[in-house]
Amino acid sequence: MRIWLYVILSIWGILWLIPFLIVVITAIKTQGDIISRGVFALPKRIVLDNFPKAWKMGKFSVYYRNSLIITFLKVPAGIFVASLAAYPLAKYRFRLRDYIFLFIFAGIGIPIHVTLLPLSILLKKIGLLDTLGGLFFPYIAFGLPFQLLICRGFFRTIPTELVDAARTDGCSEFMIYWRIMMPLSKPAIAAMFIIDFLATWNEFLIALIFIHSDKWKTVPLGMMYFHGQWASSYPVINAGALLSILPVLIVYIFLQRYFVSGITAGAIKE
Amino acid sequence: MRLTKSRIRRFLSHYWLLMPAIFIYIVFLIYPMIDSFVVSLHEWDGLSLQRKYLGLENYIKFFKDPVSLFVFKNNLIWIAFTLVIPVGVGLLLAIILNRKMVGTTIFRSLFYSPAILPLVSVGIIWAWIYNPFFGALNAFLKLIGLPSLTHGWLAERQTALYAVIATAIWQNIGFPMILFLAGLQGIPKEIYEAAEIDGASGFQRFLSITIPSLRETFVIVISLIVVSSLKVFDLVYVMTWGGPGRTTQVLATWMYFNTFLYHNAGYGSTIAWIMTFAIMIIAFPYIRIMSRR
Repeated sequence: MRIWLYVILSIWGILWLIPFLIVVITAIKTQGDIISRGVFALPKRIVLDNFPKAWKMGKFSVYYRNSLIITFLKVPAGIFVASLAAYPLAKYRFRLRDYIFLFIFAGIGIPIHVTLLPLSILLKKIGLLDTLGGLFFPYIAFGLPFQLLICRGFFRTIPTELVDAARTDGCSEFMIYWRIMMPLSKPAIAAMFIIDFLATWNEFLIALIFIHSDKWKTVPLGMMYFHGQWASSYPVINAGALLSILPVLIVYIFLQRYFVSGITAGAIKE
Repeated sequence: MRLTKSRIRRFLSHYWLLMPAIFIYIVFLIYPMIDSFVVSLHEWDGLSLQRKYLGLENYIKFFKDPVSLFVFKNNLIWIAFTLVIPVGVGLLLAIILNRKMVGTTIFRSLFYSPAILPLVSVGIIWAWIYNPFFGALNAFLKLIGLPSLTHGWLAERQTALYAVIATAIWQNIGFPMILFLAGLQGIPKEIYEAAEIDGASGFQRFLSITIPSLRETFVIVISLIVVSSLKVFDLVYVMTWGGPGRTTQVLATWMYFNTFLYHNAGYGSTIAWIMTFAIMIIAFPYIRIMSRR
């Protein structure tokens, strides 16, 4: 019985791994090798210059820079804004509390698609269209519902006595948030950080609408244009595809412990 | 009640924490959403100062236009496939991986891994696999002696939509698996042991314990999968650009084409709003379960 389970899992696993293997094996061959001997043949000789070629032809240094800037600005800022609001919604008692939470959380049911045209008009008015700043605020807005849910859920498990004790000691509300709620929520914050890192790094639709200049394109957007220009240079395109997925793969492999707890927290009621 | 100074001070010192979130949420999400509804009531190219009020005419047009109905049907096909295969396989994998066996973590990570990749790159990788001349799929079919089954997968009307959906399935199988695993771990072992003593077979235990205990997980998984199937954009945009012809257009790409390429901003916003209505209805059970105290 156990052996059969392993057999099923292994076959399924190999099937799921094949696309990754195809990318790698294509990226280390020459174009001539692929055309004359096919994808599945082992490479005549392993070629590594497809990677620097893709990096240069695809202008990856620009796209990487933009993706890193927007990700490392947006993710902490978004978590800060969401957790700041989650503290009163988790710990205060006031009449509108649950309505305010529901008002923001229900935003999880709003597809970004419906906001794109008015947002691009708004961003143009305030001079943020076609800049990384134009991505910053919409990204934060769309991350809020999920992050508020996670933060509020976690903050509620922190004993209220701690908050009361700090108040008696004369702590300001912000200090309670910063010195008590946040440090005690490290696992939840870490999980959100990773999930949001991946979501922001991978985001395509908003970037496609708001960013037009080459110098502000993010990795997915740049990858799309790179593919459009060089679609038939198979090894270079596949090397580029590897370059575009490398950061998320590394984050996933090393930090997946937090990752799984984050997605389940957002979808399973304890 | 009078607004005394101390009251105001207390209000500011306590409730300002909510303000940045509410401000950003309203300005960058709620306002554009409402504005988009106003646009959907007009005939407008998205640029000029003139727009003509139409009332609900765009909505009536959507449900009369064979093209939009065809596009909507593509989303329904997408939903059907992603509901049956990822949910079924995800549940099966979760049940297998919930056992105490060596290596389950590795398999779990492997099956989930496609879900973390940028969809643009996934689309480009699969477009290469589907390449009619040198792609892996056709090469494989020739290798096993079935050259008659080779296709221009993304270029032929009969296969294009299903080829994109297959990519989405590869990408999406891990998500229901992880949620089902979490659901399974919440079922107390004692129930199974009691049923075993009572002589219930493995299949009976599955039907009368596992499935009912996962009811809430099912609601959440189905709700989230249908919502994401209604939103699909990236894969279609990158792999087929809605083609050949319009055969792979889905609501999101059709909205994009109308709003940003054909300059039918009014009609494009209508499509976006029909998407939004559908998503809100489907997301409702998820929102209710997750916001319950």
